[in-house]
Amino acid sequence: MSRVVVLGAGVSGHTAAAFARKWLGRSDTVTVVSPKDYYNWIPSNIWVGVGLMRPEQVTFPLKPVYQRHGIEFVHGAARAIHPEGSSDDPTPHVIVTPTGGASGATVKVPYDYLINATGPRLRFDRTPGLGPEGHSHSVCTEDHAAGAARALAESVERMKRGERQQFVVGVGHGTCTCEGAAFEYIVNLEFELRSRGVRDKADILWLTNEYELGDFGMGGMHFEVGGYVTPSSVFNASLFAERGIEWVTRAHVRQVDPGLIHYETLDGAVREQRADFAMLLPPFSGVGLKAFDRNGGDITASLFQPNEFMKVDADYRPKPYEDWRAGDWPRTYQSPVYRNLFAVGIAFAPPHAISRPFTSPSGAAIAPAPPRTGMPSAMIGKAVARSVVDMIRGAEAPTRTASMAEMGAACVASAGANPLTGTAASMTVFPIVPDFDRYAPYGRDLKRTFGEIGLAGHWIKIILHHLFLYKARLRPGWSLIPE
Amino acid sequence: MSGLKHPYVTSPTRWTVFLRTFLPWQLWRFVRINLKMIGIIRRSH
Repeated sequence: MSRVVVLGAGVSGHTAAAFARKWLGRSDTVTVVSPKDYYNWIPSNIWVGVGLMRPEQVTFPLKPVYQRHGIEFVHGAARAIHPEGSSDDPTPHVIVTPTGGASGATVKVPYDYLINATGPRLRFDRTPGLGPEGHSHSVCTEDHAAGAARALAESVERMKRGERQQFVVGVGHGTCTCEGAAFEYIVNLEFELRSRGVRDKADILWLTNEYELGDFGMGGMHFEVGGYVTPSSVFNASLFAERGIEWVTRAHVRQVDPGLIHYETLDGAVREQRADFAMLLPPFSGVGLKAFDRNGGDITASLFQPNEFMKVDADYRPKPYEDWRAGDWPRTYQSPVYRNLFAVGIAFAPPHAISRPFTSPSGAAIAPAPPRTGMPSAMIGKAVARSVVDMIRGAEAPTRTASMAEMGAACVASAGANPLTGTAASMTVFPIVPDFDRYAPYGRDLKRTFGEIGLAGHWIKIILHHLFLYKARLRPGWSLIPE
Repeated sequence: MSGLKHPYVTSPTRWTVFLRTFLPWQLWRFVRINLKMIGIIRRSH
């Protein structure tokens, strides 16, 4: 009998747990540990954030799903990993703080294989005044998104009374990731303001840490269009200009005050921006898991990077941008220290960014962190689940790989939700991490990298919303739906 | 003087904008985009 424990029930953790359960025998156990007892299909939070969906439409309770499929569930937050057990118990285990338990209470969850899928900690604290508890909004969780929708409704009411409103959407720190989600939000916001008849009263600004528009933390993309190889910045700028959205790139937000955003840019300029409504995503870090050896010695630094993401089989040697290679990226997501320890989704530490790093004269890093969400996140979770199952059955080493430098991704970015007049940008990219040796000079296979905007993309986005929620509920045939 | 706010930014033609929500064309694009995405998914799994 083997015990597989998955920390986290987001896209990658839930996928890993579901496939491990499907592939393992009934004598083996699969346990999910998560501080949230519900699943959130995060890509649809942007629609909650503009008031088109309710939080209940993008979430569902996990316990009944796990009960139906024989997955054990521990409602709590993992605090520490003991990969060698402790002096009185050699069994590897995780220390968990139960949600709603007595103060200081912990439970010990033993494992034979551990998959860390804890996702990000939302670091609103890195920018004073940032976040729902400060002076800006977010769509990172369904609650944050619902708060953004309420504030948006208030702004719309003000505009209906004749007031002008300044909207600022983007990222709240120079090192943020998920620019794609913020992009979806700003174009949906603009579409909604038009739909509600108040667009003429709104000024909308995109505030980003990207060096160029369309970077999305992936170093941008190139598409073959009309006989030219064209960077994604051209299409992004075109869409913004068409929609009347202004933009500021290469920015690091220093502070958010009520109605005022303070930021600096790479050229050293320090500016202020009025904002009646701001939706600024936070930077991420790992969740702060600790690790201890059998004697209680702190081995956190050997398992985790300083940013609290877990080290896996990547090349973490510091290198200048010119020396970054696709081969630096992890393939099996196995810890180099413990063979029964893996990290998937946002929880694994990337070897470096994808976008070129820059630093402002004041020393602020201004460059997007690499995205590790959605399709690649789920595919990594599935690959690791397969490796773990095969290792339980006797394989010496992980049997599956899922390098982001060897896989592609399909992405649909909503640009306005309406079944007849809405649009979405449909994109495919291959590979996600550019490989400049294999696909010189653009780093990607141009035959498999494309993008276009249109109503068809919106239909696909709606279908994916229902399809992936169906899959996540583990309904009949769920495993046939690709990640 | 240009009447455009961003004269150096590429703009879609009216025909391109029209096609974005023109149902027959979008039905075709729906099929085509799905095929492209299935190709990426199959290659990546």
